[in-house]
Amino acid sequence: MIWKRIAAPLLLMGLFAGGAQAQIRHVEMRVEGMT
Amino acid sequence: MQKHLERQAGVQNAVVSLRDGKVDITPKEDGLIDPAQLLKATYDSGVTVSEMDITATGHVVRLATGVLSFQIEPNRSFEVTPNELSKQLESLVGTSSQVTIRGQVYTKASGKPKGTPTASKIQILEIQGKS
Repeated sequence: MIWKRIAAPLLLMGLFAGGAQAQIRHVEMRVEGMT
Repeated sequence: MQKHLERQAGVQNAVVSLRDGKVDITPKEDGLIDPAQLLKATYDSGVTVSEMDITATGHVVRLATGVLSFQIEPNRSFEVTPNELSKQLESLVGTSSQVTIRGQVYTKASGKPKGTPTASKIQILEIQGKS
């Protein structure tokens, strides 16, 4: 299948790129006045 | 407040711990999360934020003013407050290397005039990795 030969490398590239993608990964807030 | 935060752009989910006075937010992969918007949304819920920390991956550049800037795509950057850890980022300036850090982007200063809180600077608390 040609589409598999094309899709598989693209998927791998996407996974590697996603692993190092610049982005905010977590946000933590300390808050007051919460009931 | 949890529902209000989860309606903000780029937020996957928010976990509010009443006992610890802590809110954990997991961003979506779309990169649309905006710490300043989260601060505003929290204040709009009637809750005061005393501190906000983020964990993020990004590049380090030096601004024309000479200070370091931590840049997170898309189009989001924080001026780095100099400390011992920020010195370790000097070697990454001008390279394509990325670094994952945990840093404080907001803290409630006593006696600060009331108004919409902002998050434009980051004080690095931990360098988790370089790539």
